[in-house]
Order: sequence, then C-alpha cells, then structure tokens
Amino acid sequence: MIRTDSTLAVQITSLNKWYGAFHVLKEVNLTIPSGSRVVICGPSGSGKSTLIRCLNGLEAYQQGTVTLGTVRLGDNARETALARRQTGMVFQNFNLFPHLTVLSNCTLALRRVLGMPRAEAESLARHFLEKVRIPEQADKYPAQLSGGQQQRVAIARALCMNPRLMLFDEPTSALDPEMVKEVLDVMTGLAQEGMTMICVTHEMGFAREVADQIVFMDQGSIVEQASPMTFFSTPTHPRAQSFLHTLLH
Amino acid sequence: MSILEIWLGILQGFRVTALVTLYGLVFAIPFGLVFGVAQYMTTGPARFVVTSVIEFWRSSAVIILLFVFYYALPLAGLALSAMTVSAMVLGLNIGGYASQAVRAGLQALDRGQKEAGQALGLSRSTILLRIELPQALVAMSPTFINQLIQLVKATSLVSLVTLSDMTFRAKEISQIEYDPVPIYSSLLLAYFIVCYPVALFGRWVERRINPVREARCAV
Ligand SMILES: Nc1ncnc2c1ncn2[C@@H]1O[C@H](COP(=O)(O)OP(=O)(O)OP(=O)(O)O)[C@@H](O)[C@H]1O
Ligand SMILES: [Mg+2]
Repeated sequence: MIRTDSTLAVQITSLNKWYGAFHVLKEVNLTIPSGSRVVICGPSGSGKSTLIRCLNGLEAYQQGTVTLGTVRLGDNARETALARRQTGMVFQNFNLFPHLTVLSNCTLALRRVLGMPRAEAESLARHFLEKVRIPEQADKYPAQLSGGQQQRVAIARALCMNPRLMLFDEPTSALDPEMVKEVLDVMTGLAQEGMTMICVTHEMGFAREVADQIVFMDQGSIVEQASPMTFFSTPTHPRAQSFLHTLLH
Repeated sequence: MSILEIWLGILQGFRVTALVTLYGLVFAIPFGLVFGVAQYMTTGPARFVVTSVIEFWRSSAVIILLFVFYYALPLAGLALSAMTVSAMVLGLNIGGYASQAVRAGLQALDRGQKEAGQALGLSRSTILLRIELPQALVAMSPTFINQLIQLVKATSLVSLVTLSDMTFRAKEISQIEYDPVPIYSSLLLAYFIVCYPVALFGRWVERRINPVREARCAV
C-alpha cells in the first residue's frame, strides 16, 4: 500500500529504456517529494512522454527502478496495480471515451475498478466536474464539448480515482490558445491544494508560477534540474540555453 | 401455371431460407466476435492458430464445404442434418468475414482509448468490453449489415444439399413446367424483396452513426 505518511512521491533510479537499438531513456534519476510540482521540458523526441509513461505502466523499461510512494513497480503485482491506479494521467489528446457521456467517462473506473454503487459514483463525479467548472456538461458527449472543456473532463475523470500523483503530458498543446488558460487554471488550482504533479509542458508561464522544480531533458537524459528561478535566469546546459532562447523569441 | 402459383410455390421455400439465415447467424455472430477479438488480442503462435481457423472458413468455397460436410462427414461416422450443415457452413463463412470487420474495427481505434483505460486502472477485459468493443461494433455496423445480405443470398446454395428453400422450390417448379423466365425472374424478385429492406436498414444505421464519427474525427 502507498502510505499517506510517505514523503517521497516518486523515486526514479538509473532508469534505462530502449526501443530496439534506440536508447530512449539514459540513466534517468529523479526524486520527487510528495506535494511538489515538477515541470519537464525539452526538445521534441527527448523522451519526456516516455519518461512519464514509465511512471504509470504504459511503457515497460529494461533497467532501473521506479518507486511510487513505498511501492517499487513490478515487485508485487497487486501493489503495483494499486500504485498505478492511484496515479492519474492526463493526455495531450484528452482520450475521453467518445461513446460515453461526460458523467459516465468519470464514473466508469469508480464503478468497474472500485465497485462503487452508481449513485455514489455519480455524486463523486459531479463533485469533480464542479471542481473543474463544468458541472452543467455532465450529460453531454465529449464530441459536444470544446477542447478546453474536454481536457477539464479528462482531469476530473482522473481526479475521481483519488490519485496521489497526477501526470500531465502536454495537456494544453492540442488546444486553441484561448482555451489554454482554462485548463492551466484548473491545474494551478490543483497545485495549490497540494497535489503532487509532474507536467510535461512548454507553458513557461505556468512553469514559472507553479513549478518548484524544472527538469530539462535532451536526448533521453536529464541534463538540467533546477528551481524555476535558476532555470529561467541562469540555465547552465547549452541545450537548455538554446531551448529557452527559441521558446522565448 | 400462373404467376400467382409460381409465387406461392417459391414462397413455400421462404421458411427454409429464413431458418438457414437465422441459424446461420447463430454461428456467424459468436464466431465473428470471438475470433475477431481473439485475433486482435493474441500474438505469436496463438494468433497463427486463430488466423488459420478464420482463413479456413473465409477462404474455402462455400459450395465445396457444403458438399464435404454433408456427403463426406457421414463416411467418417458423423452425420449432420442438412439444416445444421447449411447453417454452420454459411454462418462460419460469413462469420469469418465478420471477424475481420471486428478486428479491423478494434485496430482502427486510437491507441489512446486503451491507454486511458489502463491509466484509470481498468482491467484488460473491462477495457475491451466497455471501451473498445462498443466503439468498434458501432463503427463496423454497416459492414455487418452488408454481410447479413451476403448471408441471405448465400442461402440459395442450400438447395444443393436437399433443403427446399426458395431456390429449390423454383428449380422444382421449372422442372414440372418448363418456363424458366417467369420462374427465375420471380425468384430474383423474391430475394430482392427480402434483402432490400435490410439494405435500407443498413443505410439508416450508417446515417445514424456517421455524424458521431465525424464529430469524433474533428476532436
Ligand atoms: N513506440 C516507439 N517505438 C520506437 N521509437 C519510439 C516509440 N515511441 C517513441 N519513440 C522515440 O523515442 C523518442 C522519445 O519519444 P517521446 O515521445 O518520449 O519524446 P517527447 O520528448 O515526448 O517528444 P514530444 O515533445 O514530441 O512529445 C523519440 O525519438 C521517438 O521517436
Ligand atoms: Mg511527448
């Protein structure tokens, strides 16, 4: 079981992953204390998505360990499944279930995984839809919603499972500019409530405001890890410098 | 013989045509679902076995399968009724095609659907039953209706194993009374009258699901 008193949310040790001969993650080490907000950035193809997908079992890895709370992934099937269930994930393309209403998207796992009765699941789902500020959309289908609304549903759906850790993989990069803010606002709200968050994002305003650690990846390695202040003012690695340069200009 | 008598004669075979179709579906639907899903979910040797079974039923000539199962199996001590053989052969043949539609429907889904289910902690079977299959089956429903029409038309072969379906009746009548043009024209029309409403239903289904798919693509 993940204990609530655990102060380490995530510990990644010497993580290596290959796609065939391609070394996609190289000796990644990362320690994330409970309650912290980590922003991962870096050029396209640097392994950001692969890294966070290793944290919830969507990708297998060949070497190293990932520990969520006190559970080392892969040691014990039951505990691993539980740790994964307590890790929420928000995808770039939302990945809502198009054949289910917004409400059913949110209640599916509550009912099928936790065996929660329908009424209880629905009231919990409505609570989280309220939290992401779209309670009135509960009975619509995803295709009837704007991108920003869909991504907020995806966040509510993940929150329903009471995660101890939330993973975001470029949650706003498929959105029109005017919808980015509504999603970032929800994420900022979550951060203020103390949720442990790992966000892959290029929203540097959000990173500056919300993150307490910035992790910069390049070619499968973490090449720089710093507080936002340090990272934005005095990045040390040349790739980070040029990355920030292109991002800001 | 008047046209009316021809029609009444053909109509006597309608019950058999309908029964072969219905019993055929009893074979086709489970086969298509189970083998389509199995082909999607398996890899390696298991997938090879599944694919072989599908290809046997899909790629063999129906008419030969009918003869083999009806005339050759009794020699091996296994005598099946003409109705059972017909329903099985036609059903599994169409089921072989249906399995490919099921598999294609599942494969066409965005990988993110399965991943979202996994990220929520859903079991593989729940993901299949609650997320993947409902979407795949809806997307493929026009194909299934086409295959139903194929099945109805294919039942005209069962006269070769002594079942008196509409085609068998028409042949009988034309033997009594040599006047093939009105008889076979009536038979043609009879199949059309059975199949056309199914085709219309298929088009209606297609119209109903298309807006959903377009909206999904727009996401
Ligand atoms: N299934 C796969 N098979 C082979 N190579 C892959 C696979 N998935 C990703 N890769 C490769 O691994 C590298 C890292 O991919 P990843 O998606 O983690 O990058 P990323 O940092 O998230 O990039 P982006 O900013 O474009 O999302 C890329 O070079 C990619 O081409
Ligand atoms: Mg990525």
